[in-house]
Amino acid sequence: MKSVLKGIFHKKQDNETDSNGARKKSDNRGVTISVCAGTGGVAAGGYDVLNAFAAQLEEKGVAAKVGERCRVHKVGCRGFCAKDVLVDVCIDGDTTTYQFIDPGKAGRIVEEHIIGGAPVREWIAGPDYANFHSKQKKILLSDCGHIDPEDIDAYIAAGGYGAAEKALSSMKPEDVIIKIKESGLRGRGGAGFPTGLKWELCRAAGENPKYIICNADEGDPGAFMDRAIIEGNPHSIIEGMIIGAYAIGANEGYIYVRAEYPLAVERLRKAIAQARGNARLGENIMGHGMNFDINVKLGAGAFVCGEETALIASLEDRTGEPSHRPPFPVQKGLRGKPTTINNVETWATIPKIISNGPEWFAAIGTEKSKGTKIFSLVGNINNTGLVEVPMGITLREIIYDIGGGIPNNKNFKAVQTGGPSGGCIPLSHIDTPVDYENLTALGSIMGSGGMVVMDEDACMVDVAKFFVSFCMDESCGKCTPCREGTKMIVKLLDEITGGEGTGEHIAKLEELCGALKETSLCGLGKTAPNPVISTIRYFRHEYDAHISSKKCPAGVCKALITFRIDMSKCNGCTACAANCPQNSIIGEKKKPHEIIQEECIKCGICFESCKFGAVTKGQA
Amino acid sequence: MTKIRLNGKEIEADEDATVLDVAMQEGLDIPALCRHEALAPYGACRLCIVEAEGPALRRSLLTSCNLKTFDGMSVETESPRVKSSRKVLFELLLGRSPDSKPLKEMAKRFGVESTRFATDRSDDCARCGLCVRACQDRIGLSAITFAGRGQKRRVTAEIGKLSETCIGCGACANICPTGAIKLEDNGNERKIFLHDTVISALALAGCESCRKPYATLKLLDYVAAHPDNKYGLNIKLKLCPACTRKHYAGEHSKILLSYSRTNPD
Repeated sequence: MKSVLKGIFHKKQDNETDSNGARKKSDNRGVTISVCAGTGGVAAGGYDVLNAFAAQLEEKGVAAKVGERCRVHKVGCRGFCAKDVLVDVCIDGDTTTYQFIDPGKAGRIVEEHIIGGAPVREWIAGPDYANFHSKQKKILLSDCGHIDPEDIDAYIAAGGYGAAEKALSSMKPEDVIIKIKESGLRGRGGAGFPTGLKWELCRAAGENPKYIICNADEGDPGAFMDRAIIEGNPHSIIEGMIIGAYAIGANEGYIYVRAEYPLAVERLRKAIAQARGNARLGENIMGHGMNFDINVKLGAGAFVCGEETALIASLEDRTGEPSHRPPFPVQKGLRGKPTTINNVETWATIPKIISNGPEWFAAIGTEKSKGTKIFSLVGNINNTGLVEVPMGITLREIIYDIGGGIPNNKNFKAVQTGGPSGGCIPLSHIDTPVDYENLTALGSIMGSGGMVVMDEDACMVDVAKFFVSFCMDESCGKCTPCREGTKMIVKLLDEITGGEGTGEHIAKLEELCGALKETSLCGLGKTAPNPVISTIRYFRHEYDAHISSKKCPAGVCKALITFRIDMSKCNGCTACAANCPQNSIIGEKKKPHEIIQEECIKCGICFESCKFGAVTKGQA
Repeated sequence: MTKIRLNGKEIEADEDATVLDVAMQEGLDIPALCRHEALAPYGACRLCIVEAEGPALRRSLLTSCNLKTFDGMSVETESPRVKSSRKVLFELLLGRSPDSKPLKEMAKRFGVESTRFATDRSDDCARCGLCVRACQDRIGLSAITFAGRGQKRRVTAEIGKLSETCIGCGACANICPTGAIKLEDNGNERKIFLHDTVISALALAGCESCRKPYATLKLLDYVAAHPDNKYGLNIKLKLCPACTRKHYAGEHSKILLSYSRTNPD
């Protein structure tokens, strides 16, 4: 009873959300140290840093002085993973963010900053940290970095489960659906289907029982948005699913999470157990008579199981292969019953929409793409990490303002959006506002939110081959075009990058890509050709160079590059010869050296070893 | 009934019929490898694609084997879009199975006689799944099944030894459209071959009357024990189909004779 009352009568504490959905600054007196403990943070030593701070506070008597208003806690991903371990020190409401913290630095921070009142300047996150955040708008990630994801009380204190309370106590299921429709929320898994409409169709489907599923399979290489939410704020997903189950009329939910996310799985299980222990899951949720529970099911290493019908097959212990639609899952899904499947991000957005109202959400973004989207910004970019931005922000703003541009003074070449199903967008379109329709018009997709930035050293044919190879490996093999076609496409690209391209290769590629797009059974096959189609569209000259001139302009494709030693620059230091794994560089000490071309495997080690610029990388 | 437009012609179709059913009834030739009337549509080969559109359907290529008709639907089975994709699909299948006579004949019927997409590892199996589905969904066993994902997907029985599950009914060999599975009866033994490898070798029962081998012992036992078995009498008699017919003809004539004796008119 006490735990039920806690939810209903819990006084809103100081740490509430403001009208933007962002957390208000803590005006709690005392000391709070927040240490990043997402997978990235943990890998960088987050737990050791956490323990070091706790020990230092104890040792230096801070804990004794300030008492319970002094705490160290772990928090979820704040996005700028490149700066891990990130530590926020908040004293009486003033927060300082430290970067690159290791356990050895805890002592000085405690002494000089917490006790002495003077922050340690040289360790504070620099202006690039502020730039990284300045154009972001945190809604889904607003609590990540502020609350301990393994503590339901922290979630509740931040206003968590308030939206579920509001829905269950004061709204009819149909009203909830109307609000979601009005918000304009579109599925964040990639397809962008209107969420409110999906829920409406599912509710209207005649059969019972109904099910809801959270798709946490996140298979796109380089994507970790969902992981950050699950590791940083798992209760937001649970709360979203409670509201969804209420709206649709379901009593059972599943979270299908890829097995390659052990920390996310652990945090999710803990959160579900805590929710059950606090009347947020199970019977009579928060005293409002609703029964709903969630089970976690692990994936088993198949990208294709992110496709909804294949996911359902996997949930039913059948082979993870897609089946044709219609019927759609909202009509006939899990066990043949009406099922709503939504992505992690979609579920996590629901509580915010219910709390703040659909107008608030619809005021963000563009006409057809409302709200924010999390992108994983990776590749040749200065500020790598997760960013949450309003729809409509331009690619240029994301890459240059938030991302800090391209490192090492290199030029931007292309940005690949939407994972292996997406396309590559060149400089000429970099001022495009990001939304579903614009990205599709450019030959790419929003996808789950992967954003890979490439500089001038990337070979676009090689990039296309990389992504199609991934799809080829992950194809379930059921339908002819994807099973046989992806392999053929990779073979043709291999021939092109190997210097064996002919005048017919592009035509064959285009025909194959067309057939896959038009006739594949599921989205994997239908979108596998996108990287090829978009690179042929925007980087045709690179394909032509590989085929006609047998050159790789970016100097990547091994068969098409030659390493040579410039005799006029070589002083015979023998560094290259000493490092050559083939022992194929000949020459006497202090005399110019030479590479035996027939034996060269193009590893590039000599190029890296030479400090005099005597080894050149040129066209074949 | 639904009203649809098929290649420009207005047709009334059964609500439960698929576009492929309707097209076949109209005498249209649409290729289909993984379809069989005894099995649920599978949608794997993709050869039966048609170009369709309607009130709630954007113009697109869809497989006709699992496409139900609806009012206002318009279907083209030989549009340029259909033909160009279909050509590539046949080429891919021929690349995988260049030696399959039935597949080559089907492809030829649709104007594809060669392929630009040869693979380095070919076999006669088009991965249509008919054998797997027949065995699992109709016979109720899984003696033959798919293994592997993507490129490595292949049909297999038990690995490394003869199948202990197979009852030798021959459904897989019978339904295989490319000739990858073959059945051979030799004396008292029935062998089933997948890609020329024996996957099942079972003893045949001889007919009690004419002594000819006619079914595997395992099949007879399976049918006798099966809850859907309506032919218990046949099994108990242990007669081949021809002798069974003779037996029943004899029984019927006995009934007719005895009837005519008591009713001379």
